[in-house]
Amino acid sequence: MAQDDVLGNRALRHFDVCVIGSGAGGGTAAYVLTHDDIRHQNVLVLEAGPNPFRGLDREPHQPLPFPFHGNDELKYAVRGYIQQDPFLEPRTFRVDDTSEATLAGDVNSLPKAVGGAFQHADCKTPRFNAVDFRLKTAMDALIAANPGLLVKGFNDEPANFADWPLSYDELEPFYAEAESLYGVQGLAGDNVFESQRSRAYPMPPGVPMYFALRLADGARRVTLPGYGPLRPHTYPAAINSRFYGDRPPCVDCGLCSGFGCPNNSKGSPAVTTLRRALLSGRCLLRFNATAIRLVNDGGHVSAVEYVDGAGGRQQATASAFILAASAIESARLCLLSPTPSGAVLGNSSGQLGQNLMFHLQSTVSGFLPERVHGERGRAVTHGISDFRGVAPGGEEIRLFATDGGQRVALGGICEFGASQGLPITEDGDIYAFQLPGPLGARMGAPLKNVLRDQALGQHLFGLVMQAEDAPQRTNRVDLDPRYVDAHGLPASRVTYQSHAYELETRKFYLPIMKQIIQQAGAKGFTVDAETVYALVRPRDALLGLAPTSRHIMGTLRMGPEGTSSVVNPAGRFHDVDNLYACDGSVFPTSSGYNPTLTIIAVALKIAHGIVGTQPSG
Amino acid sequence: MQRLRFPKLPPDLVPEPTPPAAPPAALALLVGRREFLKGLGAVLLALTSPFTRLRRVYAAARGRFFTADELDTLEALCERILPADGDPGARDLGAATYIEGLLTAFDRPVPLIFAGGPFSDRNPFPDNATGTPSRKRPRDAFLRFIRLTPWQQLRWQAELFGSDHVTGAAFNDVAAGGPLPGLRQIYRDGLKTVDDAARSMAGAPYAKLSSLQQDAILTLLDRTVFKPDPRRGTSFVDLLIQHTLEGCFSVPEYGGNRDGRGWALLGLEGDDQPLGYSIFSLAKDGYNERPDHPMSTPNPDEVGGPRALSADGERIQQSIIMLATAISKFFGE
Repeated sequence: MAQDDVLGNRALRHFDVCVIGSGAGGGTAAYVLTHDDIRHQNVLVLEAGPNPFRGLDREPHQPLPFPFHGNDELKYAVRGYIQQDPFLEPRTFRVDDTSEATLAGDVNSLPKAVGGAFQHADCKTPRFNAVDFRLKTAMDALIAANPGLLVKGFNDEPANFADWPLSYDELEPFYAEAESLYGVQGLAGDNVFESQRSRAYPMPPGVPMYFALRLADGARRVTLPGYGPLRPHTYPAAINSRFYGDRPPCVDCGLCSGFGCPNNSKGSPAVTTLRRALLSGRCLLRFNATAIRLVNDGGHVSAVEYVDGAGGRQQATASAFILAASAIESARLCLLSPTPSGAVLGNSSGQLGQNLMFHLQSTVSGFLPERVHGERGRAVTHGISDFRGVAPGGEEIRLFATDGGQRVALGGICEFGASQGLPITEDGDIYAFQLPGPLGARMGAPLKNVLRDQALGQHLFGLVMQAEDAPQRTNRVDLDPRYVDAHGLPASRVTYQSHAYELETRKFYLPIMKQIIQQAGAKGFTVDAETVYALVRPRDALLGLAPTSRHIMGTLRMGPEGTSSVVNPAGRFHDVDNLYACDGSVFPTSSGYNPTLTIIAVALKIAHGIVGTQPSG
Repeated sequence: MQRLRFPKLPPDLVPEPTPPAAPPAALALLVGRREFLKGLGAVLLALTSPFTRLRRVYAAARGRFFTADELDTLEALCERILPADGDPGARDLGAATYIEGLLTAFDRPVPLIFAGGPFSDRNPFPDNATGTPSRKRPRDAFLRFIRLTPWQQLRWQAELFGSDHVTGAAFNDVAAGGPLPGLRQIYRDGLKTVDDAARSMAGAPYAKLSSLQQDAILTLLDRTVFKPDPRRGTSFVDLLIQHTLEGCFSVPEYGGNRDGRGWALLGLEGDDQPLGYSIFSLAKDGYNERPDHPMSTPNPDEVGGPRALSADGERIQQSIIMLATAISKFFGE
């Protein structure tokens, strides 16, 4: 192979830490571990995917070169340039233990590439609320104080809720550091539900999108029962609205969610933290290198075995190992790494791979008579946080008075969205394939007419709620008994379904979501509930199919006790003395906000803890 | 072999009287079930003649995948999926060229799978001093396709040649109940089936038939003969539609969407980097929007009222409302 799949300092031979995964968790950890001139480690990063960037390890005497990303629907949405490939690395899916798992194409797959999945997102970065980190305690107290209050997932059909072993106040300096490192745009005070912040956003919000302004106007005319009008806000995102470091401002090119950024204005890990690690001289990154086994004696990891780009099996040694391959893949690597006694590495709690959480996405949409031109902008510029179900400041859970008595409703943030202008994978796909028979337009003049109208792409707009998904031990990842990946190793099998906690919440908020659409001037009707969701994204868990929320949490939950959690508050496995996790896998609960900023903040905290440094002020 | 089921043919399938020179048989044959069955049997049993094989060698020598006849059939099929009207159809937009580019992706040193980045040459850079478009344009980096990793190569070779024809690609063939059929063979077989059906049912190659006859045959075969492949979940016609859409609306560097005219017919700009829709101005420390393509306000031509949708557009929106309501009721919402 003439390929040289290496970045960073090629002279390094001995490593203190090996980080598996180069995304929001791994890139962040690599940066912290290599950053401090006195307390630093030599770091090896293994990345399973290819490298879509140019010049990441080149000295920054001139602006970072633009990457191989481009505004190209075919490359990303059809051919999956940096997506985990369902042929090479399939996943199977089932809703419960009684059904047989089948190859389900995309089972919430995340991109695999240098810089990880965040480069593929539209980089929305809200923080979690303060109460999220002690939700179990807060809810139990609320239930005790309100006799008769029944809360699904708590005192009714209990789920596996647990407090985080760290508080919002402890995490806040790391949130602030994360926003600074990744370059977040936003407006402090715009979202009244946001918890206390120590610093302003590094950049102001960019240009708003037309349909988002319509929806924001609509939302202000809608009342949350008992709490007054809704309060839409600009959406924080790690996207430049100014020159930031050596990266230019966003040009609002439109192909944002699901696409790599052609001009590096999205603050993805590759062009922020990972790049800094690579420039430190203390980091070597191997890409196209898929970790397949942690070589261990049951309580200690001595090496990681990986497959290189040419298909050869290699081993890398280090003093410590950090899993940051995203929740499903990090858990799978443990499952693929038996101990000498044949047990799963790190699973003395019996919960490894369990408590898998995705967020229950609910979509309500409508048609506007004029073109919404969602292809111009950053995918999402506005949202509302009222449906998180907490009081302003995010410290307390709200009670709602209903005909059936008091209740709580912990949903999540609502994104205001429309099509980004994807004629092949959205419009064409829906008209020709997804709308059944006479309801669709499979070919010929009808297909051409609806494409020219952009009846969906230019007219559909709506809300997506990212509702909290309760942790359940039955929602989990394990190894499939039949299907393998291209290396011959068992595929991930995902067992997942929604439960009463999130389904009840969704029912509570859907009518209010419909009102927003109506108030925003949707033509005559609303497409309610799952409608468009079921059409546009037919793999909804409610239909017994694999979700595609791209928000993947749990599987290696963090907690104080080794009997009920996999990693300790420092991110280290309770039962493996040199193995850490620092991606979404450690989340004990999922809150109702896009998880990446919290993944980064937690990774910062864990990595600073390893080297004994403080977040930069 | 696929199990054949024949629907009752709607009366509008009976062809318009054709000009005197045309053979009278044409689609009248479709109405007679026995003849149709016979024709279809011929389609399915027909073997590749040595003559066709010769033409295939000739096509390959020219760096092509399709013979001239196959290309004619393919172009005619694509055109029926997206026909020309006032705006260009799939033939004008180069859909067949795009499909051939995909099927011959590995005939080039760097396979035509992932176009390069970051920019094409279709838009200028922004001038951030003033917040206006500059006169400087990038070179078209999309044309420099990205070298595949060995794993990507395995994956795309399996896609084109079939998982049982590529070393190391058959790892799930037993579990999945069979190999992944390659696109090249699917196209070979599919085009032959279409053309044989045309010859049997209408007495002429598919490409030589009237558009009405072509529509009738394509629709009929779509409903009866072409079934979804169990591993792919898609039929030949599904692939044909998918690839026609790709060939009309993907970035032109893949061989279709000639001069971006596919995007133009949709009223979309297509790839718009590096200019984008909002231009940052250092002078005012804020953004300027493009007056012709505003971001935060309605399109200039719709300020006075929205553009009208076609009847088909209205119908699709109503379809979605109908399905929406049904699905909502199903979930009790």
